[in-house]
Amino acid sequence: MGSLAFESQTLSSETMAIDREEDIVHVRKRARMLAQARGFDAFACAALTTAASELARNVWVHGGGGQATLEELSDGNRFGIRMVFRDQGPGIADLERALQGGYSTARSLGLGLSGTRRLVEDFAIDTRPGEGTRVTITKWTRF
Amino acid sequence: MARLGFDERELQSRRAIFELHDEDLQRLTAIRAIAERHMAEVVDGFYALLLGHPGTRRFLTDDAQVARLKRTQSAYFLQLFDGRCDLPYVENRIRVGAVHERIGLAPKWYIAAYRRYLALLLERVVLDIPDRAEALAAYQSLKKIVAFDMSIAIDTYIAANLESLGRHQAAIRELSTPVIRVHERLLLLPLVGAIDSQRAQQVMEMVLVRVIEEKARAIIIDIAGVPVVDTKVADHLLKTTAAVKLIGAQTILTGISAQVARTIVQLGVDISSMHTLARLSEGIELGLELVGKRIAPKEPS
Ligand SMILES: Nc1ncnc2c1ncn2[C@@H]1O[C@H](COP(=O)(O)OP(=O)(O)O)[C@@H](O)[C@H]1O
Ligand SMILES: [Mg+2]
Repeated sequence: MGSLAFESQTLSSETMAIDREEDIVHVRKRARMLAQARGFDAFACAALTTAASELARNVWVHGGGGQATLEELSDGNRFGIRMVFRDQGPGIADLERALQGGYSTARSLGLGLSGTRRLVEDFAIDTRPGEGTRVTITKWTRF
Repeated sequence: MARLGFDERELQSRRAIFELHDEDLQRLTAIRAIAERHMAEVVDGFYALLLGHPGTRRFLTDDAQVARLKRTQSAYFLQLFDGRCDLPYVENRIRVGAVHERIGLAPKWYIAAYRRYLALLLERVVLDIPDRAEALAAYQSLKKIVAFDMSIAIDTYIAANLESLGRHQAAIRELSTPVIRVHERLLLLPLVGAIDSQRAQQVMEMVLVRVIEEKARAIIIDIAGVPVVDTKVADHLLKTTAAVKLIGAQTILTGISAQVARTIVQLGVDISSMHTLARLSEGIELGLELVGKRIAPKEPS
């Protein structure tokens, strides 16, 4: 996440539970609200909302539930939104394949992780078999 | 009975929870004669409570009805001392609960009425038992069977409420998946709102049923009202398209905003199996073409 010259500052942070399918909608609605309030354009809002939807769904479907933390950032010039998705599920056994795209253990499209990576500026994933998965993404407003 | 899942096993397990043993039932049978002697007082006292409060009085419209209810109540009262707590007994209790739920009597009345019932039983019946130890034991047994009855009544309320909730949900789902006939053999489904797993299933089924019913050649799915098109929604649209194709129709996807188009491309989803257009009006034109029709300007007269 070292794409910035300036130290970024966290303006707010909130954590939401992802226990039920409805929670996916709650998380992405909140993401959209924050993005709109911080002046993200319509394309960036759609990207961020879709990314939130993908990762929250992965937490629910593959991770057996977990949490999402949404943070508002500022680097002095731009606003950013960082989202951390955490679960204590099985972890991703073959991370390389999962990130390649088109691979799914749930017989869905398998394009969530690879696609999300293209929707945001920063994408980091930390997964341990049997312990869980944490995906962190950040998107910034344009200058 | 079926909807409560009440069978012999549930009966035994519930009796165990309430510690309602055969000795309790025997103890109740033993005081049946005393109970019978005080039956009218208990039932009258019970209805005095119901008639004394506007919340319950409105359910009691005329004297004939009250007299009828008192007879039912007397039968209920005596059953407590029948020494039976089997499936027919439970069935009877479920019926009582169902009737009260149907007329809209809230559970608080039920519980309050039972409280009064126990008080009356204590004053009139139990205190009339000469032996003090026996009276106390009988009262404990009475409390067990009354609590057992209450649990069944409350379960009946909950089951009935869940059932009506399920009916409403089904109705709303149907309303939220309106497959409209635009023209002969051309259908339109405007999707509005989030598509969760359950709704996705519903949409697919509804589309297939309607395509067959209308012998449709094409169905337009308009997604202008869908807030987020992620890989889950895309997957669902692709699967619906594949299924529709199997029954001989084509899918036209419309209402794709610039943002959604770009997001779909970035996600890497291939939606080339569908015809895709930005506007619904364009979708209708294409749909008509697919069924061999065309919108033409009126001939100048
Ligand atoms: N939070 C998670 N916990 C465990 N496994 C995951 C998680 N997220 C993704 N995966 C694995 O990575 C695969 C690819 O994920 P994704 O690209 O979102 O596609 P899909 O969800 O359609 O399967 C999943 O099928 C699953 O095996
Ligand atoms: Mg996924």
